[in-house]
Amino acid sequence: MSHVLVIGNGAAGTFSSWLLARKGWKVTMVGRGTPGAALSTGCLRSVPSACRGEISEFLDNEHMPWATGEREGASRIGTSFRCWMSPSHTTWTDDEKPKSIAVAGLEGHPSLQIRVASALLNERGVRAEPFMLPGSVPSDVPLTSWFRNDEAWEELAEDLQRSSAEAILLPAIVHLHEYPRLDRLERRCGRRVLEAVSPLGAPGQRLADLMLSKARSAGTVVWDGRKVSALEVQADEVRGATIIGGSEARHVATDAVVIATGGPLVDGLVLDGRKIMDPFGRFQTVRRGDALRGGYHCTNGKLISTDGRVMTNTVGAGDCLSAERREYGSGLTEALESAYRAVRALEDA
Amino acid sequence: MRKDVLIIGGGATGAGIARDLALRGADCLLLEMGDYCHGASGGNHGLLHSGARYAVKDPLSASECAAENAILRRIAPFCIEDTGGLFVSLPEDDAGFADVLVRSCRSSGVAVKELTSQEALDSEPGLSPRLSRCLRVNDGSIDPFSLVQANLEDARSAGATVLNHCSVTGMTVEGGRVSRVEVRDRRGVLSSAIVPEVVVNAAGSWVSVVAEMAGCHIPMGLDQGSMLVMDGRQCSQVINRMRPPSNGDIAVPNHTSTILGTTSRPAGSPEDTTVAIEDIELLVRETSAMLPSLRNCRAIRTYGGVRPLLGGGGREASRSFAILTDEGVDNLLSVAGGKLTTYRLMAEKVADRVCGMLGNDRRCRTHLEPLGPSADGKGSSIPQARLRRKYGRMASSIDTSDARVICSCEQVLRSEVKAVLKAGDALTLADVMRRTRAGMGYCQGFDCSLSVLEVMLEERSVDPLPLLMEFLEERERGFSQAGGDQLRQGLLRQQVLKGVYGLEGKE
Repeated sequence: MSHVLVIGNGAAGTFSSWLLARKGWKVTMVGRGTPGAALSTGCLRSVPSACRGEISEFLDNEHMPWATGEREGASRIGTSFRCWMSPSHTTWTDDEKPKSIAVAGLEGHPSLQIRVASALLNERGVRAEPFMLPGSVPSDVPLTSWFRNDEAWEELAEDLQRSSAEAILLPAIVHLHEYPRLDRLERRCGRRVLEAVSPLGAPGQRLADLMLSKARSAGTVVWDGRKVSALEVQADEVRGATIIGGSEARHVATDAVVIATGGPLVDGLVLDGRKIMDPFGRFQTVRRGDALRGGYHCTNGKLISTDGRVMTNTVGAGDCLSAERREYGSGLTEALESAYRAVRALEDA
Repeated sequence: MRKDVLIIGGGATGAGIARDLALRGADCLLLEMGDYCHGASGGNHGLLHSGARYAVKDPLSASECAAENAILRRIAPFCIEDTGGLFVSLPEDDAGFADVLVRSCRSSGVAVKELTSQEALDSEPGLSPRLSRCLRVNDGSIDPFSLVQANLEDARSAGATVLNHCSVTGMTVEGGRVSRVEVRDRRGVLSSAIVPEVVVNAAGSWVSVVAEMAGCHIPMGLDQGSMLVMDGRQCSQVINRMRPPSNGDIAVPNHTSTILGTTSRPAGSPEDTTVAIEDIELLVRETSAMLPSLRNCRAIRTYGGVRPLLGGGGREASRSFAILTDEGVDNLLSVAGGKLTTYRLMAEKVADRVCGMLGNDRRCRTHLEPLGPSADGKGSSIPQARLRRKYGRMASSIDTSDARVICSCEQVLRSEVKAVLKAGDALTLADVMRRTRAGMGYCQGFDCSLSVLEVMLEERSVDPLPLLMEFLEERERGFSQAGGDQLRQGLLRQQVLKGVYGLEGKE
């Protein structure tokens, strides 16, 4: 069985690991922090056709058919709130766009700042009315924990019926497997229910949790809190890596490498002359096209040494070795698509 | 509007003068064009000087610092941390300097005690084991924001009027006196020009600009200093390099961070606080020679301040202060120079002069009357002590029964923000931050800026977008030069706010 080392544990790293593990590779995924902690922001928009099969299979099993279908309003995995706030990225057509939205939130809870959100929506020509839900949830307790029982949902539905707006924007309150609840709520209120995503609680994170558990159950060995400090190159292949974590350093032999670290163009931003974490976890100043310290150069999903040799058993997934300039919101979609392409490329090689 | 005294400038000096005069019964009005501490009083490393730093070159400043240090510890213990300080020399430093420093300290009344290397390392294990000599001094760290707020609070309760976001736009000089002062008030409290008996120009780095309005010319040296905020407290005492004053010679533990300072270069204007990237690299290089752990520590943000120095400026300029008058304008006093540590003394001297002009023979009491709650920390919980450090006497007005946290980096309660907004003089997110620390931590307001804005919208009608953009831009200037994880977090923040809240094209 061939051994592959996946460096990076965000969306691209986890998804690559899952795909590879299912195909029979022995996968070790190494990441600097908690898996998914620095996950691509953004939403899963219409799923790229090439990997729709895989993602559909994966998501259908989690009862999220709408996530993969043709655009049907805003994807609930996507940040519908973002889509509302940010017209250039909206996935709605003008016809679908509600004229008025009730922005619902709990007083003092950071999940959705209803006054700020309403002011921003009003500025964009959508009539927004702040809608305070009764009750109190401590600010450090996620709202999801409050909406676990049917009683809470019943009360919520009753409250929401008081609103006269065409649609209701709710703070993120459900786990992925509870999405049918949101459907029932929508039918009960007779209005579209949009899910607002606060900056630190993106649904992408939930997707990452899910993908991580999938990757694990498919057999991936997950090493978090560690970083790759060196790659060992023989001829045109990476044959091993030194992985450090805490006081421990170990060498692993590998047959292939997926680099899914994000950066040097972090999140697709073009950063000339600024300090960015490089794929191997060190700081350095890079300009576009510069060689990375350590003798590597990254372009078009390939890892190239300074003397021009292309590492044939190494591919880049996600932003890391490929992204030129990306729009906001393409993050998750592109990460998954790129992971899929990377896995294909690895198998071809 | 007639007033005995108009004080221009709401930094430490102006606030100290307002308190001093109000305690002597003078009818005063203090105007600050931005928020309190928005100049050098907020742009410094929060050091309560022992005086040792100036003992060799500037013995007068050293004795002033030593005396005021003792007074401030007595009257304002709530905003001072008695960290103590060390002067550390490394093998590459001039070995004879320590002896010169000890002699100079003793002759200017600055307490100093030599430690063996072992004693120094025992008391501060993070120090470089390469250290060759070490002196202990009475440095401390001080929160300039709460110090100034406490002075203003006292001034208000003694009858003074204190207004921020209110700038002086012009002065009329008639018969050798300032007869009328025009103002622009962002808060809409003042409706007419001020007719003052005496004008005190305590505008810090802007002192020349204000004096110029009355046709007076005051030569000031403006000197930019850069600072770097490092995550966590990397030392328990103030760590100074034992060599003549130079760049990157101090690390001050303050609140949740360690502040590295400072640098010195001529500034073009009072607003010229921009931090040069070379200065930041220098700060880390120099201070990590004393505290090696700083090399691998996360930098939170950079900030700069402009020191108003007498005469030329630069490292050679005196850190003392002067009260300047102009022969053509009898009732205008300008105060220039000085340090945060000596703000009270400056205020006392200015108030003496003002009282002489007003025929008020009451004596200064600012060194006798406590500024805030006493230092008695016994029995008080950590949260109470933390609130007292930030708010002084106001701490008791904060409703701690509501435990909701609004800024998780700095553990700021929602009720703190509410209390600050109730006071009415916090108009911007940065104003709230200066009072509560919300937004000063790791995430630089990513998480809490929207929550604070929400509370502001709840309290009064404000236009949220400009407030948010102004705040985020200011914070971004601070972290854009921090590399590594802090920059990554900054970029994440930028992307999320652009995408989630649709702020693209507005930054």
